[in-house]
Amino acid sequence: MQENIKIICIGCPLGCEITLTIGQKGKVEDMWGNSCKEGKAYALEEYQNPARILTSTVRTKNCSRPLLPVKTTKPVLKTELMQCISALARIRVSPPIKIGEVVLDNFLETGVDVIATDNL
Amino acid sequence: MAAYETEVLIIGGGIAGTTIARELSKYKTDAMLVEKEMDFGQGITKSSSTIVNQGCNVVTFRPEYHNSRLVWAGMPLMEPLCKELQVPYKKIGSLTLFKNRAGMRRPNKLLSRFDEWSKKYLPHAKPLQLIDNDTLHNWEPNISKDFIGAVYDPNIAITDPVRLTIALAENAGQNGIGIMPDTKVLGIATGTEKFVVQTNKGTIKSRYIINAAGEYVVKIAREINADDFVLYPVKSYMAVLDKKVGNLLAHMVTSEEHGTVNPSVHGNLFFGISPGSQRLGKIHDHATDKIIADAALEHARKLVPAISKKDIINSWVGFIMYRNFEMGWHECSVGVSRWVPRFINASIGFPGICAAPAAAQEVIDLLAQEGLQLAQNPDFNPNRKAAPIFHELSDDEKRQLIASDRRYGQIICRCETVTEGEIVEAIKNGARSLDGVKFRCRPGMGRCQGGFCGPKVTRILARELGISPEEVTKKGDGSHYALYKSKELLEAE
Amino acid sequence: MNLQGMDIDVAVIGAGPAGMAAAIKAREKGAENVLIIERDTRLGGLLHQCIHNGFGLLYFGENLTGPEYSHRFTEKLLDTGARALLETMVLRISGEKEITAVNRRDGLFTIKPKSIVLAMGCRERSRGNINLHGTRPAGVLTAGTAQRLVNIEGFLPGKKIVILGTGDIGMIMARRLTLEGAEVKAAVEILPYAGGLIRNEVQCLHDFKIPVFLQHTVTKIYGEKRVRAVDIAALDANNNPIPETKRTIECDTLLLSVGLIPENELSTAAGIKLDPVTGGAVVNEARQTNVEGIFAGGNVLHVHDLVDNVSWESEIAGEYAARFAGGKKPPAGQITLKAGRNIRYVLPQIISGKNNVDLYLRVREPQKKVIIKMGGIQVGKTIPGVKPSSMIKLDLSAEDQQKFKRNEIVIDCLTKGD
Repeated sequence: MQENIKIICIGCPLGCEITLTIGQKGKVEDMWGNSCKEGKAYALEEYQNPARILTSTVRTKNCSRPLLPVKTTKPVLKTELMQCISALARIRVSPPIKIGEVVLDNFLETGVDVIATDNL
Repeated sequence: MAAYETEVLIIGGGIAGTTIARELSKYKTDAMLVEKEMDFGQGITKSSSTIVNQGCNVVTFRPEYHNSRLVWAGMPLMEPLCKELQVPYKKIGSLTLFKNRAGMRRPNKLLSRFDEWSKKYLPHAKPLQLIDNDTLHNWEPNISKDFIGAVYDPNIAITDPVRLTIALAENAGQNGIGIMPDTKVLGIATGTEKFVVQTNKGTIKSRYIINAAGEYVVKIAREINADDFVLYPVKSYMAVLDKKVGNLLAHMVTSEEHGTVNPSVHGNLFFGISPGSQRLGKIHDHATDKIIADAALEHARKLVPAISKKDIINSWVGFIMYRNFEMGWHECSVGVSRWVPRFINASIGFPGICAAPAAAQEVIDLLAQEGLQLAQNPDFNPNRKAAPIFHELSDDEKRQLIASDRRYGQIICRCETVTEGEIVEAIKNGARSLDGVKFRCRPGMGRCQGGFCGPKVTRILARELGISPEEVTKKGDGSHYALYKSKELLEAE
Repeated sequence: MNLQGMDIDVAVIGAGPAGMAAAIKAREKGAENVLIIERDTRLGGLLHQCIHNGFGLLYFGENLTGPEYSHRFTEKLLDTGARALLETMVLRISGEKEITAVNRRDGLFTIKPKSIVLAMGCRERSRGNINLHGTRPAGVLTAGTAQRLVNIEGFLPGKKIVILGTGDIGMIMARRLTLEGAEVKAAVEILPYAGGLIRNEVQCLHDFKIPVFLQHTVTKIYGEKRVRAVDIAALDANNNPIPETKRTIECDTLLLSVGLIPENELSTAAGIKLDPVTGGAVVNEARQTNVEGIFAGGNVLHVHDLVDNVSWESEIAGEYAARFAGGKKPPAGQITLKAGRNIRYVLPQIISGKNNVDLYLRVREPQKKVIIKMGGIQVGKTIPGVKPSSMIKLDLSAEDQQKFKRNEIVIDCLTKGD
């Protein structure tokens, strides 16, 4: 059983479409379409660990500004993004908050914190 | 639901209805005006080219047409009206261009007929003049060199039709007419002595009805079988250009085949296709389409080649209600219904802004004819004080204004230099929506079309009206600016 | 402070990333009185609504969000002792470098700084600019306005969204609205490729499986009061919609991400000459405009894709503005740079030929494996790929410039075959 998956490299404006052949147990058996070795490394990382820093907002209370911008301290798996978003929709924060302060710690017990990206 | 009783009910708050209301406020009578939209002049009036004092083109305007007679009678009324109401009015003159000697037949006919007719029908009009090639291109260096001469009509002026309409409604209100925006007529029945009109704000009983519903005039008349006329809606198209090219022209220019280009009182340039060259439109369909837009641009560029697509900041369609399609736009329907007494239709035709002041006087005569007692209102005040317009003031005046109210120091709309003070004043004077504010004091009228000021005006409206920002609308119910609060959709899941 | 007639060395108009960088640099280079004028309530400009990351990768070597990037500059700016006037709008600038501005507290006032840095940024093209047809309901707004609503004001424009244009803000809003629970039903792009950065195409559109319609456009908007639906259609080779491909998409919101225009109304009134391609001023390597003592940097000059470049470019303007205030004029322009093959524009347009210069270039069409030649001489290495949405930054040494034989140099972007 083999499967081909495609990943677009974001390393430069070329945007190479890199094809990975995935064998049994998810092992990468072949790769083509990249123009440079950074592209190869990117595709492997993107295949093995498809995660993103999540940026969003949380609602405030007792504050003239209705929202505080936040981000995760580490990348979150793409499959867990919406769970993280739901968790953020449930909380409300009050001033004062310092930029970098944790507003949600150890989200889903992943060791990822959500921190303020602005003062409030 | 509230119940109202009145003598005269005016349906429609466009230029026709508000001019009639204001004219009626000169008399001691009990009258109301209902407008279905949140604000006045938001139908046909809004789509106007803003040109007034048309009528000297006596090849198209003729004594047998009712609309022409109204336009002629209205010419001396427009300037004093704008002055009393402190609405912008500027005489710019028009140039009707022609290309060659053959093209001069029509101008020659026009000039000789004008000489003949003006004494009788247009005693107030300044004479038309034939302008030669050199003078033409000296006056207007940006018009196409294809044109070799023009007929100059010094009478043509421009105004801001929506501001005029709002001012008329305000002034009528100050003089005792009940002014009700956001009030939609749902049905009309004949009572014993009075009509019974159902609206979303309650029942209104009125002895007389004036149907000035513009685009909806047939629909309203049909409610009570007073539709003893046929109207043909015709689409017109207008576009507005960035102020940075506003100085391309000083006069209105037009030619037989290429529509119109004209300056606006706010320093923009408008262009549009004249209704005569337009096909019939589907009534109430306000969509612009590529065919009309491309044609209009092409025609405008024939007149003024420097006009460019990239300088267009907005465009729209309007409707012209032809009374008789074969006869063109010159006929209109102002009169008592043949079938329903005390029901007056006031579909004033095209050009409506020019026809309105005289049409209003005619409607008053019709009311008297139908038995309404009309005694002069001794308290009538013709004057309305307009709100300050920050960017039109001198630096010293600006300083004084800010000193009197700090909110005039806060610019909200960058493109049109509109201050918070002006927006608050507009809301105080009746604006209830983003468009209401926009048509009164222009935030969002400029080159960015509200991209920058939209959220800010929304917040000011919410604050001044004591509502939440997501309740703010562009133009009344169903046109909310933002539909949900942050996270609301995530909570619903 | 009494503003009228205040003694100012450098006045900076706009406190977004460009203005802040220019003001900081002006102070660092010795300008005593630096005044930065901002129309909003905070320093930082549009960075506050750009809550996504991707900022500062080049400038700080860190992946920051917009507010974080802003914060770094704000702190630094306040440390330098530059003065900031918030909620203040500049009404006009004269060719004699007189600035007339207004705010609630000080009213209308005029100042005459020794030099000026223009940092007003850019605005979005609106519906009227692109001749979008149909009705005129609520719910048609630019992506940037939507971004402000969603990230700052606390409102969502709607829940069924179509986006016209795949500029960076459009793609970022596609993701942002999806993460707020809205459904982005289509991202429609006139070009055969997405308009913004590859990074955004992958992480904002592909990640969330947003349907992308390339070589399509919106042909009609439906709805009297609020957007009800839009028609989209494929485009033929002449960019005309193909009627048979028309489909109607129900939605309540249409976002426009169809380009940015440098905000230069103040500049033109001051007699500053604009480049018709960039929409910004024609400048020399000091980022000085044709009006002596008036400099410009960032998106007011040309629309950037990375804020890092905005900061760097504006630092140049800030530095030379400080020097000008101290009586030192920038090097005189000798050489005019012209866009050649597959080059849309080059900035600065004029160089002295004597200093190392960072050139900013944009191409017209995507190309692979290219070299840049100036006056026929190759500058820099082979570039693996170029795209109109990604600006090319090129170091041009003084030495390289010695080789130029003429005072008008054409820049070409060439592939091996050319």
